[in-house]
Amino acid sequence: MVKFFQHTFKYEYNWDCVTLAFWLRYPNPFASHVESVDVIDRYIDPNTGVLRTTRLILKRGVIPKWGRGLIKNSEACIIEESMVNPKNKTMITLTKNITHARAMQVEEWQTYRVDPNNREYTQVKTEAKIISNFGWGLTDRVELLGIKKFTDNTMKSRKGMSHVLEMIREKRGRGFMTS
Amino acid sequence: MSQSIGSQCNELKKEYDACFNKWYSEKFLKGDIRPECEELFKKYKDCVMVAVKQKQIDKLLVEARKDDPFTSSSSENKGKS
Repeated sequence: MVKFFQHTFKYEYNWDCVTLAFWLRYPNPFASHVESVDVIDRYIDPNTGVLRTTRLILKRGVIPKWGRGLIKNSEACIIEESMVNPKNKTMITLTKNITHARAMQVEEWQTYRVDPNNREYTQVKTEAKIISNFGWGLTDRVELLGIKKFTDNTMKSRKGMSHVLEMIREKRGRGFMTS
Repeated sequence: MSQSIGSQCNELKKEYDACFNKWYSEKFLKGDIRPECEELFKKYKDCVMVAVKQKQIDKLLVEARKDDPFTSSSSENKGKS
């Protein structure tokens, strides 16, 4: 069973600032469940000048009480792939869980672009795909959990990004990274 | 600064992240794409890979990364396939 979600959001910060905040977004007070973040691969594509990065993110306590009998280890590993094109100012990211993927696979794509209506703002399009394979009536429950988690997490990650963006602004002054 | 998966890698991570963040905002975003921080990254990554193996997620990682999500049609479809 598969479900899709999509929505668009705007940050009132320029693209340079938002993409920097993407790298700095952990830790933040809205992501206390994130235990570790590591870059495991990073290079610049010599043909395109695009920066490619793979990060490994560890989260704890992601399984609800009723699901703990099904899934022993409540630590979850997330992989985050990204590409940043500084020429056309586009950042595309993909995050997906690599543990518990047989129970539920969540793939989230985000595209960060300069807001077409205001060059000092950044538009983020989020698209998610949730796949679960439990069966025996559990699938619906798992998918509902997936939907709830997804909406909760989207709100949390937005708050987290905003928090980091404010910190960057405070640290470097209001004129930071205006182009 | 966030933690590393291996507590023994935290210092290396801190040094590398600081180097990268500076390079990203001062060079890369301004059009200078010549890589820096590569020595620091190598040391940090070697450390992380040991921790990943200890946690027994090395195989999961290889499996998850065997297809490039941004090549061919996948980045156009953005997960809609």
